[in-house]
Amino acid sequence: MLLSQIILFPLLAAIILLIFNSKSDLLKQAALGLSLAELLLGAKLFMAFDPSTASLQLTENYSWISQFGISYSIGVDGLSFWLVLLTVFIFPIAILGSWNSINKSQKGYYASLFVLQTAMIGTFLSIDAILFYLFWELSLVPMYFIIGIWGGARRIYATVKFFIYTMAGSILMLLAMIYLILMHKELMGSYSANLLDWYKMQIPFVGGVLLTPQTLMFFAFSIAFAIKTPAFPVHTWLPDAHVEAPTAGSVLLAAVMLKMGTYGFVRWVIPLFPQAAQYWAWLFMVIGVIGIIYGALMALVQTDIKKLVAYSSVSHMGYVLMGLFALNQMGVTGALYQMLNHGISTGALFFLVGMIYERTHTRQIAHYGGLAPFMPWYTIAFLIITLSSIAVPMTNGFIGEFLILMGSYKSNPVWAYFAVIGVVLGAAYMLWMVKKVFYGPTGKELSGHKDHLVDLSAREWIILSPFIVLVFWMGLRPNDFLNYSRHSLEHWVKNQSSYTLDVKK
Amino acid sequence: MLLASAADLIVASPLFVLFMGSLTPLIVKVLNKNKEPNNFLSMIQGVGTILAALLLMVTVYFLLLSRANPFAFSNLIAVDGIAIIASTTCLLLALASLFLMRDNQSTNGDQFAELVFLTLNSVLGMLVLVMATDLLTLFVGIEVMSLALYMMIGISHEQKLSKEAAIKYFVLGSFASAILLQGIAFIYGNLGTTSITVLTEKADLLIGQSPLFAVGMIFLMIGFLFKVSLFPFHVWTADVYQGAPTPHTAFMSTAVKMASFAAFARIFVGSFLVNHDSMLNILQWIGAITIFAGNAGALVQNNLKRMLAFSSVAHSGYILMGIIVIGLGATKLGMTAVMFYLVTYSIMNMGALAMVSFLEKSYSDEISTDHIKGLAYKRPWLAGSFTVLLISLAGVPPALGFFGKFFIFTQALDQGLLWLTLWAGLGSVVGAYIYLKPIVYMYMIKDDDQNEVISEAAKDHEVYNNRKWFTKTVVLASAFTILVIGLLNTLLYHLLSARL
Repeated sequence: MLLSQIILFPLLAAIILLIFNSKSDLLKQAALGLSLAELLLGAKLFMAFDPSTASLQLTENYSWISQFGISYSIGVDGLSFWLVLLTVFIFPIAILGSWNSINKSQKGYYASLFVLQTAMIGTFLSIDAILFYLFWELSLVPMYFIIGIWGGARRIYATVKFFIYTMAGSILMLLAMIYLILMHKELMGSYSANLLDWYKMQIPFVGGVLLTPQTLMFFAFSIAFAIKTPAFPVHTWLPDAHVEAPTAGSVLLAAVMLKMGTYGFVRWVIPLFPQAAQYWAWLFMVIGVIGIIYGALMALVQTDIKKLVAYSSVSHMGYVLMGLFALNQMGVTGALYQMLNHGISTGALFFLVGMIYERTHTRQIAHYGGLAPFMPWYTIAFLIITLSSIAVPMTNGFIGEFLILMGSYKSNPVWAYFAVIGVVLGAAYMLWMVKKVFYGPTGKELSGHKDHLVDLSAREWIILSPFIVLVFWMGLRPNDFLNYSRHSLEHWVKNQSSYTLDVKK
Repeated sequence: MLLASAADLIVASPLFVLFMGSLTPLIVKVLNKNKEPNNFLSMIQGVGTILAALLLMVTVYFLLLSRANPFAFSNLIAVDGIAIIASTTCLLLALASLFLMRDNQSTNGDQFAELVFLTLNSVLGMLVLVMATDLLTLFVGIEVMSLALYMMIGISHEQKLSKEAAIKYFVLGSFASAILLQGIAFIYGNLGTTSITVLTEKADLLIGQSPLFAVGMIFLMIGFLFKVSLFPFHVWTADVYQGAPTPHTAFMSTAVKMASFAAFARIFVGSFLVNHDSMLNILQWIGAITIFAGNAGALVQNNLKRMLAFSSVAHSGYILMGIIVIGLGATKLGMTAVMFYLVTYSIMNMGALAMVSFLEKSYSDEISTDHIKGLAYKRPWLAGSFTVLLISLAGVPPALGFFGKFFIFTQALDQGLLWLTLWAGLGSVVGAYIYLKPIVYMYMIKDDDQNEVISEAAKDHEVYNNRKWFTKTVVLASAFTILVIGLLNTLLYHLLSARL
């Protein structure tokens, strides 16, 4: 029942919040308390999880739409474990981060956050296709409201674009899912939407021919996940959504929602369609490389700090995609690690951008300059996170990027050469931005705001310190984290062409 | 030969009750020296009649179930699974429509007693239509249903648009009926009988052999394509739905569609599409184009009623997919999917149009997206319900609308209709954009003229609208149903599937 509790508790929390008076401070405190209670449930999962096996654990299975073999079945293994913990970890911080910046319809805001949390955790834990699809689509609705109601000036354009892009991809995925349910009936004799049953199917594949079931479904799923990731040609919703979303919205979008896409590749696409994945791996490596370099180049020319961070996301997620389609131990381990790193470093960066925006109400790099003397602690925190983002050794980013580059070098050296260019560019855009914002002569626009340029408050310290601790912890002792996923990843890599997953009794 | 046995009369008893009950408001009015009686009382008479008919209908169904022979009047009508599902839904929808008519300014007041009479008679026609197992009974059903509707639209208090709508609907509807009748004649000429039971048994053979029979089937279909507003016979829909008073629009777009599609599906049970590839292809194209025509038409609308009218065209396209599945031989599964979608769609659309009806401030009011700016902050519950309904119409889980689409898509893919399903899926992405638009206006755009001085008249309207309790109930109840049945969709599915 533990996993169901983790999924459904936030939904309950959303309902509880509806009884509060929307103006009172108690509302925020209750929201924070409820999210901390959810974090405790996460801690319980941490204790209950058994890292010594690759099997699916803590499973639950109830019949739901029995006529098509659809069930409420959930479970956790080393692939989804850290993503669930990342989600429960980031929400209390997100609520703390919205403390002063969200002033209208707070009740709706916090309720949306909790519904979003249910949808995200549900996506990571679902083992049934239709249940997965339900949570996947459900996550759109609260995010749509969060961007659309509490966002910036062009919020409506951004949120509708976000919704339609994701929906367009996921409709194709839904059709492929239905096709697989029917195919299971044909091959195995009964309807089933359970992923563990699907793994056992041998889906017909002919290399190079597009109109074969495996290739078609591979692309149907991949397009849905690539849009969410976001991979290169379909990434354009992301900069808009990131820039217009309120701080906490950007954080959740970057830290968790993008991971839903890459997690989809790990859990669904590659194990379900192994031959197609191997055949088309080069394509996704190329898309990943283009994403890395294109994202970095775009970040270089941005004048808005938030947009710069948004494009850096495109670049970072390119690494993840590359690592995944290297299809070897190092690449995939690095990709999984990079997903967490990106959640931490980009999440923290969005918080930092939000903090300075609250003080000066501008995000233009040109308006800043010489911020360091006014806000020394803020500058230090920003630098640490920047170093993590550009993958300096001793920070978490280094481990992830290094593993990915090693993995992709082994699988195809050419793409690895190109990807390394991205590392240099990454350092360039981040450090230039830091230089322009924090050093040099004091920016003209800042002179009017000097009274507001106070250093980090206690609340902001509480927000940032977990990130800073994690940056070094994950950078210095990666095995503390990777040990929980090791068996699952080994199993995943070794049995690529005939992946199955059993359930731990 | 005896004209009708006692058993026949029992089977037809819901129809008698409906007709007799429909006369009560008129009689009360006449006895009242032709002064309009209290609207509420007229509505209660209508509601009582509908509930009585509903109860009888269910009783008759279970009586016949034990006899294992649902037919009556020498096979002219039958109370079988399709009939019981469609008729109970139609009756409940009529009930909700009466609630809306009582509250809406363009329908209440004068001539409300007549309106109740016409509504009940229209439902009577629907019941005949869904029970019909003979083409002639079917025709009678369609005509009774439609004639009552023409008049209902015509007697609206709104002077211009609704009169135009009534005339348009009448002229075009008569054409369609004539073509339908012509089709029946052709079929009779080939088949020697008008019985639908015989038709479904022989259709798959005859369609290949006799071109005249095929022509008859095509004419018959054209009649139905018009009634359920499928491409290329959908153009009237937007004007008529917009021009008609909103309660009638709600009634037409749900109950009429339910009844017409139920009868339409009956004909396809013959699985004649298996033997006629070109007809199968044409129907598939009609389905795909309808979905796009409906959604594309709705894209540019700011008028909520017109937008919902186009969206209902698109939904007809999805239902046609299920009908094609039935025509390909997957009778039970296809029929369940179609009925599920129809029930789902009826709840959503009834709720959405009830919301529009709630917002209307006078008999000629047209609700556009501007009218719902910032509504979420004035009326959070209603706006929330409307959002649930719109999200369900868009087909986003866990709302019920998603499962309706899911079952239809599953059956269509199972029959190998890959391209049609793909088009339908892409069409629903376009659809999502449409349904997001009102949500944007309700939640994300502030009402600018909040500081404006509100006129006395506007205040009165506001007070009046606050008293639209019945309409509010319909909105909230349908949103609630959407969410609850969304999660318990299996129950509804099995309930329907066991009847078919």
